[in-house]
Amino acid sequence: MSAERAGREQRRLVEARDVRREYRLKGDLIEAVRGISLEVSAGDFLAIVGPSGSGKSTLLHLLGAVDSPTSGAIYLDGSDVTVMTDAERARFRLEHVGLVFQRFHLLPMLTALENVELPMAEAGLARKEREQRAKALLTRVGLGERLRHRPGEISGGQRQRVAVARALANRPALLLADEPTGELDQSTSAEMLELFQSLNEDGTAIVVATHDLQLAEGARRQMTLVDGKIRE
Amino acid sequence: MLIFRYSARELLRHPARSLLAVLGVAVACAMLLDMLMLGGGLNASFRSLLTSAGYELRVSPAGTLPFDTGATIGDASGVRLRLESEPGIDAVAPVLGSNLLIENSRGAGPDEGTDRLFVLGVDPAEQGIYRLTSGVDPDENGVVIGRELADTGLAIGDSISLRAPGSFAEAGRRTGSFRVTGVADFLYASSGERSAAVTLPTLAQLTDQPDRASLMMVRITEGENPDSVAAALRLRHPELEIASVGQLVETAARRLSYFRQLAAILGTVSLVVTTLLIGTIMAISINDRYGTIAALRAIGISKRSIVAAFLVESLLLCVLAAAVGLGLGLLVAGQLERILSDFPGLPSAIRFFVFEPDRLAWAAAGVLLAGVGAALVPAIRAMNAPIAATLHREEP
Repeated sequence: MSAERAGREQRRLVEARDVRREYRLKGDLIEAVRGISLEVSAGDFLAIVGPSGSGKSTLLHLLGAVDSPTSGAIYLDGSDVTVMTDAERARFRLEHVGLVFQRFHLLPMLTALENVELPMAEAGLARKEREQRAKALLTRVGLGERLRHRPGEISGGQRQRVAVARALANRPALLLADEPTGELDQSTSAEMLELFQSLNEDGTAIVVATHDLQLAEGARRQMTLVDGKIRE
Repeated sequence: MLIFRYSARELLRHPARSLLAVLGVAVACAMLLDMLMLGGGLNASFRSLLTSAGYELRVSPAGTLPFDTGATIGDASGVRLRLESEPGIDAVAPVLGSNLLIENSRGAGPDEGTDRLFVLGVDPAEQGIYRLTSGVDPDENGVVIGRELADTGLAIGDSISLRAPGSFAEAGRRTGSFRVTGVADFLYASSGERSAAVTLPTLAQLTDQPDRASLMMVRITEGENPDSVAAALRLRHPELEIASVGQLVETAARRLSYFRQLAAILGTVSLVVTTLLIGTIMAISINDRYGTIAALRAIGISKRSIVAAFLVESLLLCVLAAAVGLGLGLLVAGQLERILSDFPGLPSAIRFFVFEPDRLAWAAAGVLLAGVGAALVPAIRAMNAPIAATLHREEP
């Protein structure tokens, strides 16, 4: 391990302390996440696995400052996101966290290039710069030939690659992916794992919530969630 | 700009839906424009008509409006002189009006073989009743005829026989033969009305109304305020009804207030329709995209940017609709104007639908505001939906 990589990995990107998330569903109290503490360092690749309803997605949303915990504290890159306002958290996510969803959630009427440009436009990057960066990112995920294609004109695997490129648009240190291979076939899932591993090699910390054992086994470490708790 | 591109292309994603929305709002916009034109058009047109001849005041017998009744002002020449001597008065144009019969070649009885004709007695040197299109003003034995009469084949130089209605025995005394000296546009003639003008003394003699006038049109000195001059004259001439054009327009507006009420109600309805239509379309469109909205917010796109995208989408719909609707509104107004121009008793120069750029701007602004306002509600609702819960619902 190089000194540079070792230094990078010492940087703590995510620190969750006794995080709980409860919500009410038709009058019943649901404890989706029950007192989880974890850390994710720069260069980490963590796979959160567990059965459906175990709280994987909820935990991922909490780690990405998409949702707020009922109790506990979450530090992202040293900032306590639980005390941020809605707008502050949105800005924080835009600049520090990349998110990938099972269903891609690309804008169907925008091209791959424009979809990747979107977060950069929101961050205020000049048109020329964001276009250059979006082209580079799409080339990086193997879609250099599909820049002007719309999501409806490319395969599911390619769409997820566009979504990954979009997640990396503002050069986040942390990439969170919720069931990123859930809509993909086995061979495309394998390609996605390769892409994640390659991005991780380049220094992006990745946390994936997945049912996909192949993907989980490709991560540097795994964490199993059952009933909202980490199973030791 | 990316957000604008997104909004524009979103409209193309469901072309049929967008087209129907545009057409629906266009119809509402057309209706709004027409109602705005109708609401103020009649007043504007009436004011324009009354001031077109350059006389700012109207004098009629006390308790009447010009040509509202058959009442006349007695000692017309004396009244004229007294008014002309008042401060702030530049000129006075007396007018006497009466229905006469114009004899034609058909039949022979006292009223047989005749057509009705509205004849105005004027002082050709000072009148604001007609505008000559050819020929000259009438002399003692002359008559200026309107276009309607000219269209029957009468021409300058022809002779016509005019007779005041009455008993057969008096027919001879009330008949006169006149030579057509000119053809003119009669400013206050209603649609299809046959009009002619002779000198005031001639008509007074023919109708046995010596030295009387139905109306006096008064021109005030430049720089004077019409309402102030009218008020001063009223104090000194309580036997007369003296009104400025502005006051007459107000009176007419009161009488025709149902047009304004109709316009206000239908205009409001069209705005409500626009709001409901755009609100429904945008609500459907936004509901379809709850998952995407939540995902966009999750990746850090601000609420403001997403709301802006929806408002731009709604605005684009409304701009397209307004462009179509304003054109449609003008077209419909033209057709309605043709129908309403035959409204009995109203001068044909009166326009119900008057095009004014500010009306167009108000109609466009009304539709745009209603549309954008309508989109605001579903957009804000979507923005306030919890991101994580929405993603949970949307993701399998």
